[in-house]
Amino acid sequence: MRIIIGILAVILLAGCKEKYTPKLNNATTAYLVVEGFINSSGGASTFVLTRTTRLTDPGKIVYERGAMVKITSELGKVYPLTETSPGTYTSAALTLDKNDRYRLSIQAGGKEYLSDYSKMRNTPAIDSVSWQLENNGLQLYVNTHDPKDSTRYYQWKHEQTWEFHSSYTTSLKYSYDNQNNITGVTYRLPSRSADMSVYRCWQSEKLQSISIGSSEKLSKDVIHAPLIQIPKNSWKVSVLYSVLVKQYALSREAYKFFEEMKRNTEQLGSIFDAQPSANTGNLRCVTKPDEVVIGFVEVSEEKEKRLFISAAQLPADWAYVQPCEAIQVKPNNIDTIRSMAGYLPTDPVDYAPSGAIVTLGFGTPSCIDCTLRGTNVKPSFWP
Amino acid sequence: MKQISKVLLFACCLLISFNALKGQETGKLPLISGNYILLPAEQFLLDLQKQTGYRFYFDTTHLDSLRVNGSFRDQPLNAVLDQVFEGTGIGHAISIGSKRVFISKGLQVKTSLPDDFFGVQGQAPKDVAATEQTLTDYVDGNQKTPAATLENKLYVIGDKLAAGSGGNVTIAGYLHDIKTGEPVIGASIYIDKPRINAITDQFGYYSLIVPKGRHTLNIQSLNMKDTRRQVMIYQDGKLNIDLYSQVTALKHVVVSSEKTNAVRNMQMGVQKIDIKAIKQVPVVFGEADVLRVVLTLPGVKSVGEASTGLNVRGGSADQNLILFNDATIFNPAHFFGMFSAFNPEVVKDVQLYKSGIPAKYGGRLSSVLEINSREGNKKNFTGSAGIGLLTSRVNIEGPIVKDKTSFIFGGRTTYANWLLNLLPEEYKHSKASFYDLNLNITHEINKKNSLYLTTYMSRDRFNLNNDTSYNYSNRNVSLKWKHTFNNKWFMILAGGYDFYEYGIGSTRNKINAYKMGFDLSQSYFKAHVNYFANAKQTIEFGVNAVRYELHPGSFKPDGAQSLVAPVIMPSEQALESAVYLSDKYAFSPEFSVEAGLRYSVYTFLGPQSVNNYLPGVPKTESTLTGTTLYDKGKGIKTYHGGEVRLSARYAFNNVMSIKAGYNSQRQYVHMLSNTAAMAPTDIWKLSDPNIRPQYGDQFSVGLYRNFKSNTIETSVEVYYKRIKDYLDYKSGAQLVLNPHIETDVMNTEGKAYGVELMIKKTAGKFNGWFSYTWSRTLLQMNDPAVGTPINNGKWYPANYDKPHDLTFVGNYRISHRFSISLNTSYSTGRPITLPIARFYYAGSERTLYSDRNMYRIPDYFRTDFSMNIEGNHKVHQLTHNSWTIGVYNLTGRKNPYSVYYVSENGVVNGYKLSIFGNAIPYVNFNIRF
Repeated sequence: MRIIIGILAVILLAGCKEKYTPKLNNATTAYLVVEGFINSSGGASTFVLTRTTRLTDPGKIVYERGAMVKITSELGKVYPLTETSPGTYTSAALTLDKNDRYRLSIQAGGKEYLSDYSKMRNTPAIDSVSWQLENNGLQLYVNTHDPKDSTRYYQWKHEQTWEFHSSYTTSLKYSYDNQNNITGVTYRLPSRSADMSVYRCWQSEKLQSISIGSSEKLSKDVIHAPLIQIPKNSWKVSVLYSVLVKQYALSREAYKFFEEMKRNTEQLGSIFDAQPSANTGNLRCVTKPDEVVIGFVEVSEEKEKRLFISAAQLPADWAYVQPCEAIQVKPNNIDTIRSMAGYLPTDPVDYAPSGAIVTLGFGTPSCIDCTLRGTNVKPSFWP
Repeated sequence: MKQISKVLLFACCLLISFNALKGQETGKLPLISGNYILLPAEQFLLDLQKQTGYRFYFDTTHLDSLRVNGSFRDQPLNAVLDQVFEGTGIGHAISIGSKRVFISKGLQVKTSLPDDFFGVQGQAPKDVAATEQTLTDYVDGNQKTPAATLENKLYVIGDKLAAGSGGNVTIAGYLHDIKTGEPVIGASIYIDKPRINAITDQFGYYSLIVPKGRHTLNIQSLNMKDTRRQVMIYQDGKLNIDLYSQVTALKHVVVSSEKTNAVRNMQMGVQKIDIKAIKQVPVVFGEADVLRVVLTLPGVKSVGEASTGLNVRGGSADQNLILFNDATIFNPAHFFGMFSAFNPEVVKDVQLYKSGIPAKYGGRLSSVLEINSREGNKKNFTGSAGIGLLTSRVNIEGPIVKDKTSFIFGGRTTYANWLLNLLPEEYKHSKASFYDLNLNITHEINKKNSLYLTTYMSRDRFNLNNDTSYNYSNRNVSLKWKHTFNNKWFMILAGGYDFYEYGIGSTRNKINAYKMGFDLSQSYFKAHVNYFANAKQTIEFGVNAVRYELHPGSFKPDGAQSLVAPVIMPSEQALESAVYLSDKYAFSPEFSVEAGLRYSVYTFLGPQSVNNYLPGVPKTESTLTGTTLYDKGKGIKTYHGGEVRLSARYAFNNVMSIKAGYNSQRQYVHMLSNTAAMAPTDIWKLSDPNIRPQYGDQFSVGLYRNFKSNTIETSVEVYYKRIKDYLDYKSGAQLVLNPHIETDVMNTEGKAYGVELMIKKTAGKFNGWFSYTWSRTLLQMNDPAVGTPINNGKWYPANYDKPHDLTFVGNYRISHRFSISLNTSYSTGRPITLPIARFYYAGSERTLYSDRNMYRIPDYFRTDFSMNIEGNHKVHQLTHNSWTIGVYNLTGRKNPYSVYYVSENGVVNGYKLSIFGNAIPYVNFNIRF
């Protein structure tokens, strides 16, 4: 019986999902994709224009370059955007009129594209970004409310940044000859002390999914939405963790657009999937009305809030442990050192009376040089 | 070579003292010596006859293929016979005085007359012919007709002297189960020469017109042992026959469409399977599953392994009327659709009408699936229980008032949580449980009036990873009264209440904690009258009325901190009534026609506020012009129309016929779903001023031919079906708690056509069926006034359009206690919507979708195997045990359920999802008491 149960479990679950690429014969579509919003916070508005690619061409972003992009208003105002990097178009800092309505106008590939007009929309401030321990992890929430109960639909973007440290300090490095062959080890710093520039680093991560929330079914416009989940013992919370959350008010239509996009592209794979379907947004091609344009452009305000969580705020058993290998070798000669290629030297262990190193330590590179996993440039907002 | 006739044996028995061998007399028996190696029993007995000088009387048919093995040295005759016939059921009686030995089987060799023998008889038989001695009871049938239970006894009907020679006479009577007293329905009773056949009606009554003289009546029926009776018929008379039910599950046929019925009866597109066949088909986890077996029939498909939603001849899952006795079951699935909601211990048989739907049924477009439960045992308390890996079940039945009132109770529950606890962390906190309960009571008021009470309840609960919890429940009760006016007229009145609800809730986020609910109920009344005008004509008519009440959704806060604003959608109610009349008429034995007409009227009732839209443009929120309020009980909108049910049969001969049929259907309730599989969260919707009822019609032709004494049935059926106003969803539809749901759905047209081939072997050691279907199901939405045409208004395949579908179901009985079953199926992969392009948005690569159902998942292939092992077959033991051991998906093929693309960590990945990715062994233990 036990065996059967064991087998059952493995079968039922492991066998369920596997990577698969069906043979498809997609035609090239190259539909215009517009991402961005008209910023009413007083800053610049940025749009990224790309083209859809064939399903069989993964990992390729085709930027739409050389397009004429401008924000126009119902009352006749025109604000041109300039291409600041390939496919990225940025406006000057704009002050928009509450009583006017705005839209995006694009001329690209010999065709003209327009979004629907959109009026200014106020975004309530983020009350707080809170966190709590649940389900063996750290759950972050965004909390907000609109006293006028009128916003109802929200989108969030966020960027996480965290400080992390190498598992071992290092004062040694390999020395090389002209042919880039290892000749031995040498001190990193004249002071022979540990090189802290490879000990303290930062890494960051931008949101890769659509994060939206709504209070449409609540009696008050109050949001307590789960935002980020960090598993226990993650390196993100090994020293100090920070997240910057940006909040945008959406129209109901934009919310539906993002909800559908999320359903089509992130929420598939269950038994009772809703079937994916066409979803395009509020842009249209004026020149060729049945051409698909993807994107939803409206005016919105950006509100942001930053949160820090230090490892000291978390339970002791949350300490991050990096899987590392540490080895002590001697004698300190070229053969020994070369046999350790693939590791990095850490510190001397003991010395000859001459002061030369006799025994020294080696370790897994990623445990020694933090720049292999991040940057050692401290972010400007870091305390 | 019959040594002596049974009858003479019987007569001689009268002269023997049965106590002949008791006591010291055994010492006087002759002694036997000899070596016998696989000697046929008959020769063995003849050898004994030589050795002993005793005369042996026996019937060679009893000895059958029995062979004798043994070595004897000076052993008394009775000991030798005991040893030789041990365990064969063959007994012997030795008369030392007359030096005779009687070998018999089944018959108890009585050596003295019953006390009342001559008393009943009134006089000693004047004719010396022993054949007629005991049987004048049967003369004219005015007396209470005793039941004929013996196969080898000759029953004489009528008076030889009073009867002239030549001409035909009628013999009629009832067939009963000797153990439970239940009537045996649908049994075939026939004589071979000439071939004359009758089928018992719902009371177990039969009537045969046969030439005078001696006949062998053959009786075949589901669940009953095939048997025969020897009759000598001189005059019209009655003969009641008691049948033995099948003691072992292994001994009989898998498929039960009554033999020759496929050729002879009027219906086409009808399949019937009894529970024994259902139990033999291997299924996942070994849980005998009514709906899974229905899925192996030609013309029946589903979107995948996790769905028990049936798609019959291109119909959607909500177009099937699933009747458990008379109760409509709205959600026939348990446990995410893995199991069907019917306890196999209570089910008697299942009948599926794919076309040729009788006029008495209406309200659904595609099919009627009748699931009939057993009646409780009227004589004894019995029961059974089964233990499987995921479920256990029990049933108890017995008399409340002996021979009058009986009950049957069935219950089933699951303990699947252990399975879910073995899942990876992300699913580990999932829970799932279900149960279902049945209680049926049958009461026979008198011979002409019977009452049937059916109650059913099922409940499912599951939550996936502690977050959202789901539950749903069916509850049904129905009461049926059957009244027989006389042998020509009977009437059935039935009333009942069907209820289905589901709920969803989540309390994880205190502020958003909610409870959502949906329910649908119907109260109904049916009156049905059956009139057997004569042998050629049967007329049926009746009325139906159903009152629907539907609560489309409530959304309420759960907990004090919840800010959820309660939303309660106004209830919907409607009344559907219908009258029908159908006439079955046989113009000749070859040609018969059944014509039925049903007229249904549906009224959507207040109170209700109905949305108004601008005419001639798609219904959207922007074309919503306002609402109209209607008072309670006010008829808001009425739809009505006729439905035609026509079928005709021409039989070329006894084994071959052609049938054709046309039927049209109307459906006033719709299930709305935007998932491929039938999900527990699908909602139902009543037709209203904005949503029209569905209409469908079907034309079909079939050719039927039986071979090898009707043990092999073959059929070819072709159909063409049209569907109007089938509700499909729009892109991004919101179906739950939507106060203007008509803006998110649209009317589509459908067409389905196909050919179904079936070969069925119904008897013998090997039985089973093979079916192949080629079919297409296409939908079209081409009305810009309804919304943006799907796929530019072109025909597109429905989710369950699987052109090729091949099934083999076979059972091989190796011995009475051991049989093996194999089940193989292949089908084309179902259509799916795959992306047409990639793009980059919101930090990730994503996919773009366009036309629906333009691709297919890989083809489906699966083989299942099971072994059924029965315990010993002694009838009189406390319990009977059996084991079922099997493997589902023997080849371990990872059959895709869906293929999809999903954005993960910024990139798009394609996946293939299989429900069962490997071979799944199972074991089930059953016990009957």
